[in-house]
Amino acid sequence: MKRDAQAQRLAREAEHAALQLHTRRHFLKEGAMGFGALALGSLLGSCGFNVSSAPNAMFDASNPLAPRPPMFPGKAKSVIYLHMAGAPSQFEMFSYKPELAKLDGQECPQSLLEGKKFAFIRGVPKMLGPQANFKQHGKSGLWLSDNLPHLATVADEIAMLNAVTTDQFNHAPAQLLMQTGSSRLGRPSIGAWVTYGMGSENKNLPGFVVLTSGGNNPDAGKSVWGSGFLPSVYQGVQCRGEGDPVLFIKDPAGMDRDLRKASIDAINKINQEQFEEYKDPEILSRIAQYEMAYKMQISVPEVMNINDEPAYIHEMYGTEPGKTSFANNVLLARKLVEKGVRFVQLFDWGWDTHGTSASGSVDIGLVNKCRNVDKPITALILDLKQRGLLDETLIVWGAEFGRTPMQENREGKDMPFKGRDHHAAAFNMWMAGGGIKGGTTYGETDEIGYDIVNGKTEAFDIQATILNQLGFDHEKFTYESQGRPFRLTDVGGKVITDILA
Amino acid sequence: MSTLSVFLFSLVDFVGSFHPLLVHLPIGVLLLAALFQFLSQKEKYQSLASAVGISLFIGMLSAIASCISGYLLSGTGDYDEGLIFNHQWSGIALAIISIVAWYLNWKGKQITWITALMVFLIVLTGHFGGSITHGSDYLKRAFLAEASGQAEEKRKPIPNVQQAMAYQDVIKPILTSKCYKCHGPNKQKGKLRLDMPDFILKGGKGGKAIIAGNTDESELIKRILLSKESDDHMPPLEQPQLTKTELDLIHWWVSSGADFNKKVADLAQTEKIKPVLLSLQSEEKAEAALISDIPEKTVGQADAKIVQELLARGVAVIPVALNSNYLSVNFVALDSITAKDLQLLEQLSKQVIWLKIGDSNLDDNNLKSIVKLSSLTRLSIEKTAVSDAGIALLNGLPKLTYLNLVGTKITAKGLTQLKSLKDLRQIFLYQTAISGSEFSQLSKLFPKALIDTGGYKLQFLESDTVELKSARVN
Repeated sequence: MKRDAQAQRLAREAEHAALQLHTRRHFLKEGAMGFGALALGSLLGSCGFNVSSAPNAMFDASNPLAPRPPMFPGKAKSVIYLHMAGAPSQFEMFSYKPELAKLDGQECPQSLLEGKKFAFIRGVPKMLGPQANFKQHGKSGLWLSDNLPHLATVADEIAMLNAVTTDQFNHAPAQLLMQTGSSRLGRPSIGAWVTYGMGSENKNLPGFVVLTSGGNNPDAGKSVWGSGFLPSVYQGVQCRGEGDPVLFIKDPAGMDRDLRKASIDAINKINQEQFEEYKDPEILSRIAQYEMAYKMQISVPEVMNINDEPAYIHEMYGTEPGKTSFANNVLLARKLVEKGVRFVQLFDWGWDTHGTSASGSVDIGLVNKCRNVDKPITALILDLKQRGLLDETLIVWGAEFGRTPMQENREGKDMPFKGRDHHAAAFNMWMAGGGIKGGTTYGETDEIGYDIVNGKTEAFDIQATILNQLGFDHEKFTYESQGRPFRLTDVGGKVITDILA
Repeated sequence: MSTLSVFLFSLVDFVGSFHPLLVHLPIGVLLLAALFQFLSQKEKYQSLASAVGISLFIGMLSAIASCISGYLLSGTGDYDEGLIFNHQWSGIALAIISIVAWYLNWKGKQITWITALMVFLIVLTGHFGGSITHGSDYLKRAFLAEASGQAEEKRKPIPNVQQAMAYQDVIKPILTSKCYKCHGPNKQKGKLRLDMPDFILKGGKGGKAIIAGNTDESELIKRILLSKESDDHMPPLEQPQLTKTELDLIHWWVSSGADFNKKVADLAQTEKIKPVLLSLQSEEKAEAALISDIPEKTVGQADAKIVQELLARGVAVIPVALNSNYLSVNFVALDSITAKDLQLLEQLSKQVIWLKIGDSNLDDNNLKSIVKLSSLTRLSIEKTAVSDAGIALLNGLPKLTYLNLVGTKITAKGLTQLKSLKDLRQIFLYQTAISGSEFSQLSKLFPKALIDTGGYKLQFLESDTVELKSARVN
């Protein structure tokens, strides 16, 4: 009896509480807010806030990787981007500065240090002359150091950017700026943008593959190949050089391919029901990803296998099957591009030559790093050329920044080895193939390579040029997020027309 | 004394600048007074009658204040005098009528036609004022917005820039889009007007706009080149700026004598300006040069059903660009090509210009289907069973510029059958039966083509396999 009364009282209380939420006053208050929002929405709508009538029209959630046309016919169909994480020293590779050699060992003049900030240099550092010999190569007379003897043979294929600059002097933000157009997290990487724009020509393979070497992932982590605010299906798929190319690509023990197919079908069916209920396009992306994963079980091991390549190709690239190496990744990049992958991103770690150890010095460690990459990169250019693919494959070589013409003096002390600090003001990058005019140079730095003199090239300019070669106008290629259209190049960027064929 | 006069002058400017704000008061208040007067005739609103007087009084004061500030603003000389005349006198008339209306009201009289005249003058003065600030066609523009917006954006393409008129066709469109808004028929900020040759030569308050042959002294160019931080920089920052090309063109025109009647060809041209001038020559052409692979002739849309069928098979069939009907086709994802696939492909014969069908089960017999794609410019049939026996069929593809035969059994003899393909620019013959000695013979047959037989080797260098342990001695 008593319990009944208590229950009734509780029920009344609950009813009362619910009613309180819907008093007339509440209704009017909420209603007014709603009307206000409606009015504001239509006002904003009529003020031209909706730039395009169908934002993100390119995204077809049911088939997000369907091949799509570029804005205009591009010269390049795919990109191989070679990023040397850690930032190689331009003074031992591309930037020929005889004046710097004369200043070797002298104290850096105060005028160069005033108002400048360095990652590690403190007090007054000494200038460090080039730790390599330079010669001119090819018909174009490109200056290259003796650390790159193979690349010198293809000098006329290369367009050298001498005056690249950035405003970030720490690895992670600088890598993000170079790869995503923003030094902070959250923006899509250039490969994700390209895959969003063009889809994948091969329905069995992802449009954007990432390969890493050098023992570490880049400092900025996986965000440098992330999809940011783009649907997650466009993020880079990281493949491995040894073991399974993609983790968990093999069928689990005790589960055969048919059973796996049946379970994926079942999962997709449930997801489809979820989609019908919630209409969240990410669910369709997930369905597409499951299907892609199933197809990749067959196609990826095949394309990621370099064992079947003939011996002379292995010799050419300097590859050793079964190992994780930059050379193996470069050969894989060629195979992936042959198979219609749009964007292959390579990161090679270990170029951060501060002079703290032998392997981190510009006269020992850097030389070994150069030996690791010189041959495969040259082989890649020549191999793509003989296969008739160089014209439609854009190769980009670069890093997040360069290194100082001064020797690093961490905490104001002499270092055990010769090294250079991070330098954001001026460094080198180069491009080849994909409608780039070989044998050209763009930009100039001062006599000691401290600052740029002309031909300033920012990350945005490089991104704009890559998009242009693929057939996209970087100013019109946008994705609507958080109520406004975003661009890879934000509000900057100009196509470097001087190096285009 | 002089500082006082400077102060007074700036005070004049200061008060004048309030005119656009003040004018809205008489508009609102006098209209309200008229409304009160009209309503108060009804019994229900009789009580409003007592508010008419005060409304008229405030409206009158604000009308007089508007007249004074307006007169001061007109003295800055930034506006068209004809438009100002109308606006000024209708405004003064309005002020006088409002005084009369208030006086009559004060005396307890009410004359309806005076109020009606006042309302009419408000509308008229407001319209003249609008014409000054927004341009005399501001009312019409709303209806023409769509059409005129596009017309302004697109410069009339110049078929042959050297035969075009330097001022009329090259310079005037730049001035129209970037300068007329403030230095045109409606406004003459700084007493400068740029829409006619005479006015351009006359210059403005700051001096001569252009001095023929002397770009350094020409105020127009000086101001455009001023740094953006400077107040004198033109166009003002909130307005669209001149592009590099536009600046180069104006600079060239002034330095070559600023002639208003000559053709481009008759003016001196430096090496630097030639490509800039050429870029004016219908812009589409410049883009076409960049992507030489697309035929100039347009083509109808491909049959969507066939495209869909091929896509469903996993063949990548995509337009070469968003606004093009030409297609690029790639069979890379297919395990094996069937007769049905080729049959579908044949039906896209007009549209397909790029085809990748290599590394597949394609054979000589299948080339009969391929050759039906008569628009084809790029063909990749590498690593297929295609041989000398079938290759002659490719003569049916006269537009071919790129041919990839890597890894096929083609011999030099087979390739000579294609010598009628005069447009071939690139032939790839790596891993074919063609030897180096036959290379020179082939390059004679295809003088325009780049023939790549591949087989590149890298020099063997000891250092490639050796790790450096200590610093090298340079």
